[in-house]
Amino acid sequence: MRAPTISIKGRAFGDRVLLALVILLSLVMVAPVLWVIGLSLKENAELMANPNSVFQAPYTLKNYINTIGTSSVFVWVRNSIIVSGGLTLGTLILSSLAGYGFARLNFPGRNVLFVIVLFGLAVPEQAVLVARHQIFSMLNFHNTYHGLILPGLSASFGVFLMTQYFKAIPKELDEAAMLDNASRFRTFWKVLLPLTVPAQATLGIFTFLGAWNDYLWPLISATKKDMYTLTVGMASTQTNFAQSEGIGFLMAQAVFAGAPILIVYLFFQKYIVTAVSGAAVR
Amino acid sequence: MTADIEIRNVSKHFGAMTVLDDLSLSIKAREFIVFLGPSGCGKSTLLRMIAGLETVDTGEIAINNERIDHLPPGKRGIAMVFQSYALYPHMSVRDNMAFGLENIGMPRDVIDARIKESARILEMEHLLERKPGQLSGGQRQRVAIGRAIVKEPKAFLFDEPLSNLDAALRTRTRIELAQLHQRLQSTMIFVTHDQVEAMTLADRIVVMNNRKIEQIGSPMEIYDRPATKFVAGFVGAPAMNFVEATLDRSSRNATARFADGVSVQTEIASGQTSDGKYTFGIRSEDVGIVPVGQGNADGVVDVLERLGERTLVYARLGDGQQIVGSDAGNSRVAVGDKVGLAFDGRKSHLFGETGRAWHAGEV
Repeated sequence: MRAPTISIKGRAFGDRVLLALVILLSLVMVAPVLWVIGLSLKENAELMANPNSVFQAPYTLKNYINTIGTSSVFVWVRNSIIVSGGLTLGTLILSSLAGYGFARLNFPGRNVLFVIVLFGLAVPEQAVLVARHQIFSMLNFHNTYHGLILPGLSASFGVFLMTQYFKAIPKELDEAAMLDNASRFRTFWKVLLPLTVPAQATLGIFTFLGAWNDYLWPLISATKKDMYTLTVGMASTQTNFAQSEGIGFLMAQAVFAGAPILIVYLFFQKYIVTAVSGAAVR
Repeated sequence: MTADIEIRNVSKHFGAMTVLDDLSLSIKAREFIVFLGPSGCGKSTLLRMIAGLETVDTGEIAINNERIDHLPPGKRGIAMVFQSYALYPHMSVRDNMAFGLENIGMPRDVIDARIKESARILEMEHLLERKPGQLSGGQRQRVAIGRAIVKEPKAFLFDEPLSNLDAALRTRTRIELAQLHQRLQSTMIFVTHDQVEAMTLADRIVVMNNRKIEQIGSPMEIYDRPATKFVAGFVGAPAMNFVEATLDRSSRNATARFADGVSVQTEIASGQTSDGKYTFGIRSEDVGIVPVGQGNADGVVDVLERLGERTLVYARLGDGQQIVGSDAGNSRVAVGDKVGLAFDGRKSHLFGETGRAWHAGEV
């Protein structure tokens, strides 16, 4: 009886140490967010006089009221939602179709084409930026939604992920569907695609978060203020308004900016955790 | 609904490799046919060609005198049960069964009625709303069969459907399949490498080896009168005893002489045979265990397998050749004992160098 008691005690101690570490790390992660929220609830003049006043009442919603009244943050959020949503949807559709094609169809040059797709993984965005800028400029694609969405659709990782996932689905399912008189598209749509939902969720989350946080291409392509995405818009605010409009106002905008991604996270929490842990790949 | 299936001069190649070589076969309506053979003999390929999952390189396949080898799988009017069952994991049992019928635009009420009837036949009404992942192996097997039944196909194809089940369930499902065949009276083609499944289920067995058909016949024909040495060795457990022999053809029936001088009087007419090397074959149940000196040969017991109703005795002859004989269930023989082996010449077989067979009692 004694040995197990020691073991449980030992484990309990280990658990407590772990818990303490988790709490500490969580605080490190959450503190800046709390700080942002705190700052967004303070008058600028008060913060200028005493930076530590963030911890003391009074708090005010004035910055939020100003944001709703005057800021472009809603336009930028809308742009980011359109760009990230469009890019995610497009990537999922194209990657699924391409993945199915590479995994299931026999066509000349398939292997060479797949290697070319994989090669896309190795090419950094910076290497093609100038050429892409020139092409988009000639096509008058800058300052348009499709100009912001199109480059991200060449998603090598997505094609690779979906190809591997389709390959892992037993071919007997295709054959059973053939015997069930299903057309190739119906087999894809009704039998195979629903089985790739975990991979779609993983790819969708990574694509959405990547597009939401993307800064470089929107900075180049969106030069008009009403086409800014959130990242570009927020950066422009920091440069131009930080001193004059006040840090509290800036932080209120940041809270607005973070809200959509928080909502996405709350909805897809389960998938994000499995996606990040890599568990959803199988 | 049921169908004759005619396979005429069918060949199949994968690159340079020939998988089936000029193979012909007639399957009668309502017949339960089993393709039996070792791995790689081409039996599954032949089944998949009938299903339309593999193309036919040369030759033709007809169902009820209509060529079907150019038709896609779904248009052939056949249903297949896969080894892995291939149930759609994200669909309920009901949806799995309905999918094929929806694809041909069958009205919903007819689909529902068929599913209900099939579920009743297979006693799985309570499983209809579950997903395959929530079912046991045996239940999945049942659903796979149900998915085939609802289509009311001209023929059922089974690709080693019992191999994923445990031994007890396999036996039970085997019996259920036999009952299902009696009830549905459909043409059924069953692929297996398990000769017990073949013997117990088939009206006729097609024994295949090395891309060709070795023999077609009823289970007892295959067992009692194997056409080739391969069939004799492949069907039956334990495998038939084979001993290299020469023939003494001086009397009416040939006498087989083994290398160590043992001789067995067969009931195979000398006139049917010619000079040359032969393999003498006899099944374990036709080799009796007798006191030393009273049989055709003596041997030392290597291994005993007690099966309950009988005991298999593995005895080694003087020249090292092992012979499996059969003794009573409560045999007193022990490992290391010297025993006599009595070969029943009336049940003996001879195989020529080309594999051709002669059987005792043949005229």
